[in-house]
Formats: sequence, C-alpha cells, structure tokens
Amino acid sequence: MTSERMVDWIDRAAVCLVENAARRTPEPLSERLAEEWLADLAARRSGFSRLRLALGCYWATYSIARERRVAVVAAASSRLAHSNIATFTDENSPVFSTRTATFLLVVSLHAAVLCGLAVGVSSKFIKLTPPRFEIHRIDQAPPPVDLPPVAKPDLNAIRVDPQKPVDDLTFEPDPPPRSGDLKETPPRDAEGGTGPLTPPAVVINRVQGGPGIGFPSAHDFYPASAIRRGEQGIATVRACVDGSGRLTSNPTIVQSTGSSRLDDGALTLAIAGSGHYRATTENGKPVNSCYAFCIRFDLRN
Amino acid sequence: MGKEDREVRMSLQTLKVLEAFLENPTDQLSGAEVHQRCKIASGTLYPILLRLEAAGWFVSRWESINPSTAGRPRRRLYRLTPTGLKRASEVFASFNRGVLA
Repeated sequence: MTSERMVDWIDRAAVCLVENAARRTPEPLSERLAEEWLADLAARRSGFSRLRLALGCYWATYSIARERRVAVVAAASSRLAHSNIATFTDENSPVFSTRTATFLLVVSLHAAVLCGLAVGVSSKFIKLTPPRFEIHRIDQAPPPVDLPPVAKPDLNAIRVDPQKPVDDLTFEPDPPPRSGDLKETPPRDAEGGTGPLTPPAVVINRVQGGPGIGFPSAHDFYPASAIRRGEQGIATVRACVDGSGRLTSNPTIVQSTGSSRLDDGALTLAIAGSGHYRATTENGKPVNSCYAFCIRFDLRN
Repeated sequence: MGKEDREVRMSLQTLKVLEAFLENPTDQLSGAEVHQRCKIASGTLYPILLRLEAAGWFVSRWESINPSTAGRPRRRLYRLTPTGLKRASEVFASFNRGVLA
C-alpha cells in the first residue's frame, strides 16, 4: 500500500469513526458534535493526528452520554421533587459503567493475547522461524596427476654382449634435474644402468582447496523468497581460485538445487566468499586451481 | 444546554482548559485550538468543553464563515462567559492561596 493510499484510508477511517461516535451521543447533541468534530478533524495536519482525534471522540462519547444521563435523571428528580433521586440512581447504577467495562474488556484482551503468545502461540512461531543453516563441504578427491605416457622400452633392442666386461661400460652422469620440471626428468633404474625404464616416480602432494576460514554462512545468503516458499537444496558450485584464495573467474553452478532462487543465492555466496577460499596446495605450495564444493540450503532444525 | 451557574468538578485537565481561555478571556477558541494550546486528548477535551458549557462557564457558537468559500467546515467556537471568567479567576486565585477549589 502506498503512503498516499494509506493516508487516504486513515482519513476515511477517521471520518467514519467521528460520524459513528457523534451518532452515539444523545440526540440533541449528535448533529452539532458531528459537525464540530469533523471541522476540528479537518484542522489536524497529519493523518495519524486525525485518527487519534477520531478515536478520542469515540472515547468522549461515553463520557458525554453518561453525563447526559445523570443530567436527565437530575432534571427529572427536580421535577418530581425527589431531591435524592440522583443519589439513588448513582447508588443503584451498575457496578461497572460502560466506560469501565470497555476498559476492562480491552485490558482482558491484551492479557489474553500476551498469555497466548507466552504459552502456546510463541512456540509455534519459534518453530516457523528459519533454522540455522550449515555449509557442508564435500571435498572432491584430488584428480590424478597427469603424467606423460612412458613408452614401454623395447627390451629386444638392447643388446649386451655377455663377453664384454662390465667395467668397460661407461655412463655419462645425468644432468641435474631442473626445478619444476620433474615430470620430464627420466628416472634411472635402481642399478643405475640402462635397464628397462620404470614409471616416473613423481609424487605431488596435492591438497584440494575449499571454502576456508571467514567464508560467509549460507544462512546470510538464504534468499528470503526461497524461505517463504520453503525451498531447500544443495547446490554444487565450481570456483576457480588463485593461490591467495581469491576468485579468478565467476563461479558457476555445476549441479542445480532445482530452484533458480537458491542457485542465485549460492552464486552470490560464492562470490562473496572471494578472498576466504582455501587455495589448493601442491607440495605445500598454493597454486591456482578450480574445484567444486557444495552449499546446502536447509530449512530443517 | 443549561446555562445555569453550576459547580464544576475541577481536574487538572479542566484547569488546563480554563487556563487556555484565561490567557485572553475575550478569545473565542475552537476545540482544535484548545487542543493545540493544552495538548489534551480529544477524548478528555470535548467532555470538558461540554461540561463547562452546561455549567454556564462557556458559551459556544458556530463560526460565521461560508464553508464553500473558506474551503473548510465551520468550527464551533467557545468563549468564557462573565460568570465563567469570574469563577475561573476564583479557582486560580484559590490556588494562589494554597487552597484547592
């Protein structure tokens, strides 16, 4: 509802209240009070002030009607020469006047609402509130290291003359291995001879990265529209991260939750987490890498 | 409305209303103007105005304007009667003597 429509609605409600309140006053006053109150209503500036005046007029109705009743009884008593009839009427009036009864009714309603909230309804509301959300990270198994195919040696091509002394064999020392070029360095067999080549014994200790310390919570990125619809699911997001844990490209959805709202929330979360990713390490050294991780949006608990 | 001079139960709000009129006893004030001066809620203000009028302390009349020309409804204007002025002055004078009216 726009503010203009709301003000218009408040004005109309105030006018209705004033007219209704004036109708409740004793007959000779009702027309006058309706015009007087409507004029004062028009003099008020804000909508809420007008509404407050209208409610006050409604409240004033009871006072005016009660005083009028007393005045009528007093007038009748003077006509009938019963000087104490007003007192008698007052003494025999109901225990609670209309105003007091209304006040007690309002207080009772407030008490009932508060009790309801404190006892039963509150627990129901608490159950309906969105629960805490957790991120379940599923680290993928490190991909196998791509090793260059090693040609199977042709054993028949190597011929060793058994008559020739072994001491005559000469070998040239291997060039020193270049750092970072381990895959291309041909290993030698255990005896250091020219025997059959064994598969390269390159061992790279690769530790897969993932969301790290300070990574934002899925709770903060659970789309409100998805909460209202009760949508939940697990999104698998692929992120490419540099050695310092920052995104090098926009993350993508590998496996959707089935809800575009949740997928958007997962991507937003993944982008917001840039700088808080744990970089993949190879032999303890952070490297650029791409990996997938899961973000769970769960309404349970 | 009866115009007889009757006793009026004095409350703090009633005193505030009387004080607003005593600032300039010849002023004619509408309910909205009294509210602006006294800051009394309408639920209390209008019964007081009617009570004081019934007691003969106030008289009221309709504002002499043409609503269609003025662009607003006419207001009901209240002013103190000579009796009301005298009684209200007595009430406030009794306060000065430390005696409640």
